[in-house]
Amino acid sequence: MLKVEKVYKSFGGILALFGVSFEVEAGTITGLIGPNGSGKSTLFNIISGFYRKDRGEIYFQGKKLGHMEPYRIALMGLGRTFQISEAPEKMTVLENLLLAPKNQTGESVLSVFLHPSRIKYESRQHLEKAYEILHLVQLHDLMNEYAGNLSGGQKKLLALGRILMSDPLLLLLDEPTAGVNPTLIKDLIVAIKNLRDEKGVTILVVEHNMKVISEICDRVIVLDFGKKIAEGTPEEIKRNEKVLEAYLSGSTKREFFHDNA
Amino acid sequence: MGLINFLVYLAIMMGIYGILSLSLNLQYGFTGLANFGQVAFFCLGAYASTILVLVFHMPFIVGLFGGMAVAALFGYVIAIPTADLKEDYWAIVTLAAAEIVRIFFLNEDWVAGPDPYIGGAFGIGGIPQPLRSLFSAHTYPFFYLAVVLVCLFATYIVINRLTASPFGRVIKSIREGDNLPQALGKDVKRFRLKVMALGGGFGGVAGCLWAHFHGFVSPDQFMPLETFIVWAMVIVGGKANNKGAVFGAVVIVIFYNCTRFLKDYIPIEEVTLASLRMVAIGILIVVAMLFMKEGLIQEKKSIYETPLSKKA
Amino acid sequence: MTFTQVVINSIVRASELALLSLGLTIVYDILRFANFAHTEFAVVGVYVALFLNLTLGLHIIPAAVIASLATGLFSIAVDRAVFKKMRSTSGIIVMVTSLGLAIALRNTIRAIYGATAQNYSVPLQKPIMTEFFRITPLQIWIIVIGAAAMVLFHLLLHHTKLGKAMRAASDDPDLAQASGIATEKIITYVWFIAITFASLGGILIGMETYILPYMGFAIIVPVFCATIMGGIGNPYGAMLGALVLGFAENFGLYINFGKILSLGGLLGQTKGLFIPTGYKPAISFVILIVVLLIRPRGILGRKKEG
Repeated sequence: MLKVEKVYKSFGGILALFGVSFEVEAGTITGLIGPNGSGKSTLFNIISGFYRKDRGEIYFQGKKLGHMEPYRIALMGLGRTFQISEAPEKMTVLENLLLAPKNQTGESVLSVFLHPSRIKYESRQHLEKAYEILHLVQLHDLMNEYAGNLSGGQKKLLALGRILMSDPLLLLLDEPTAGVNPTLIKDLIVAIKNLRDEKGVTILVVEHNMKVISEICDRVIVLDFGKKIAEGTPEEIKRNEKVLEAYLSGSTKREFFHDNA
Repeated sequence: MGLINFLVYLAIMMGIYGILSLSLNLQYGFTGLANFGQVAFFCLGAYASTILVLVFHMPFIVGLFGGMAVAALFGYVIAIPTADLKEDYWAIVTLAAAEIVRIFFLNEDWVAGPDPYIGGAFGIGGIPQPLRSLFSAHTYPFFYLAVVLVCLFATYIVINRLTASPFGRVIKSIREGDNLPQALGKDVKRFRLKVMALGGGFGGVAGCLWAHFHGFVSPDQFMPLETFIVWAMVIVGGKANNKGAVFGAVVIVIFYNCTRFLKDYIPIEEVTLASLRMVAIGILIVVAMLFMKEGLIQEKKSIYETPLSKKA
Repeated sequence: MTFTQVVINSIVRASELALLSLGLTIVYDILRFANFAHTEFAVVGVYVALFLNLTLGLHIIPAAVIASLATGLFSIAVDRAVFKKMRSTSGIIVMVTSLGLAIALRNTIRAIYGATAQNYSVPLQKPIMTEFFRITPLQIWIIVIGAAAMVLFHLLLHHTKLGKAMRAASDDPDLAQASGIATEKIITYVWFIAITFASLGGILIGMETYILPYMGFAIIVPVFCATIMGGIGNPYGAMLGALVLGFAENFGLYINFGKILSLGGLLGQTKGLFIPTGYKPAISFVILIVVLLIRPRGILGRKKEG
């Protein structure tokens, strides 16, 4: 489904990603973990087209992504959430969800006037689906609330619900449980697993919550200072020495790295 | 001018500026495109229709659609290289572009035909008013008002329909940033181009109506000040609200014109009064931005009907 | 019109523009918005100087100095009244506000002084004439004052505590605030410097040409152009941009494109092909658009990552 091949990225002389390579199999949930600053968000941004990689290649469903614009990649079936929730503040929760489905007929100017009945039909379909998703992420009470008025955790749920509306084939989740209350996390775990089992969605998830990672991931990839240092099942990773070292030592490693960059 | 005639004149102005205001509101209020060159559409619509009617002897209706097409094309073309610029840079670019348009018409008098005293800084006069011969001098203004109102109504309906549709949803999301719409698979640039073409087209309509009403166009009618008057209308009336845009036009036109009469009561010169009016508009914009960013009429919240299967 | 004359005209124009664009750029740098009222402040300075000069009979030099300083202080007051409340508002809103302010200022002046052109009462000057060029003492002064102002600013930026603080606030506004560098104080100084320089620039233009209430608008696009071309937010960029634009505007009219297009006479008789003088204002507009399309960050601007 997704192949990342020797990707390099630097920002003004500081190397953020150093020859990262891995593959994500279709219909699996893969976790992406690593201490802060290890390059996880950068990687997400590169895969989804928001950042340009310096070197390397990304293949989505066998197709080379090259320098494709983010929207084209999204149309291919890649969905993502953002670490800091991007939610248009002046649009309601429901409106946000209705925004998500791809290639809506009503998005073309001429169609608005020439195909009103088709648009109405589509809109009814979308509304039904939106209501289901609203219940799933437990935001149905807030459906007509402006997205700007939501709490941080609620915005995350909105982001998740929204991307689900677009029926992605590959879903990049950026810290989906951060800021969400614990009871809801349980429901989210069920929902995410459901996506894989019932809808066959492939998922790549960045998370700091190790419990969540252990529960949902089939495989885990570990980054540290922009390099892949380990890959395997959650069990294997928990026992991996290099991984433990990375999470424990932080600052001394940073100095070493910069001197040798 | 008699009172009735004056009121008809006011109404016609409100109609023309209402169209300009709706157009700018679509660009800025709904899509976040801060167009500081709105007057360019106005100018192009006016000149294009004038030239079509006077030089090519086309009927008014061709002039109207021609003006609309030229302005829409300009909006689209200008946006192609510039639409992805940061909003404040884009504002400056549009300001500069509008000035180039005006300077073009100031210098190129050949567009108005071979007569050396027509065109350029002299302006173009003698624009025929459509269907003038069918009416008496007394009743004609009412007819023209009807024409303007029909155009205003049509503009309102089209823009309203668009902003309430999925298209409107997308442009509203673009307003607050490119990232989300991109991530949802929307071709952001193309939407911006479409909005600029639409905005341009409507601006062109307003320009044509203006030209045929006044019977005379000249470059100094299309100074950047015009753009900012329309901005005042959009801001005061209500950003991202179509009724608000029209309302803003009504308010500003009334304000702008009612101060004419002050001259009879207060011993001020015409020039000074004109300047003070502008000072008031400037202050109005500042105050509106400080305290009333949303305008007098707020943006409407989109509420959708509950599907029958879900009604609890 | 000889080559030398064009060079002189270019340098004079560049000096005037530099005084104006420097102010615009430092305000943008620290306050993060494009101030459309910038040149209107300059015009306020122009008319204050006019008042001091004509109505109160002051000699032009003290009039210019007092007017510039006074307008600088005025801008601080305006900042407190209007822009202070908008420190964290989006760029466009503040820009539109500055637009409203510009309209108000411009027309207040027009209401008071009317629309006719005016001139300062300046002692008569004899131009220096040679075979190749003609230059007036005023033009020499403009060049000197412009250069001096740039040097002064450079010294301020690199050899004073204020300058250091300004540079810190420019590189990282959040860090600067957190480490106790009083941002509001810096903002006050920035406005004062920016508008004092701008007023001076406006007065010099008024002395060289004439004074009109709408002169602020006539100059705003060239000033924006110079600022952006050099890299907005970078004071040295503003100076560079002013230089480039001063030359571009003057050489733009001077160059015989007919000669270039026909490869210097190789392709037969060359007809003169010049940019019509009526398009002189358009030169800076076109350059501005081209710069923004090709290299929005300008010559010396900083790159944003993405």
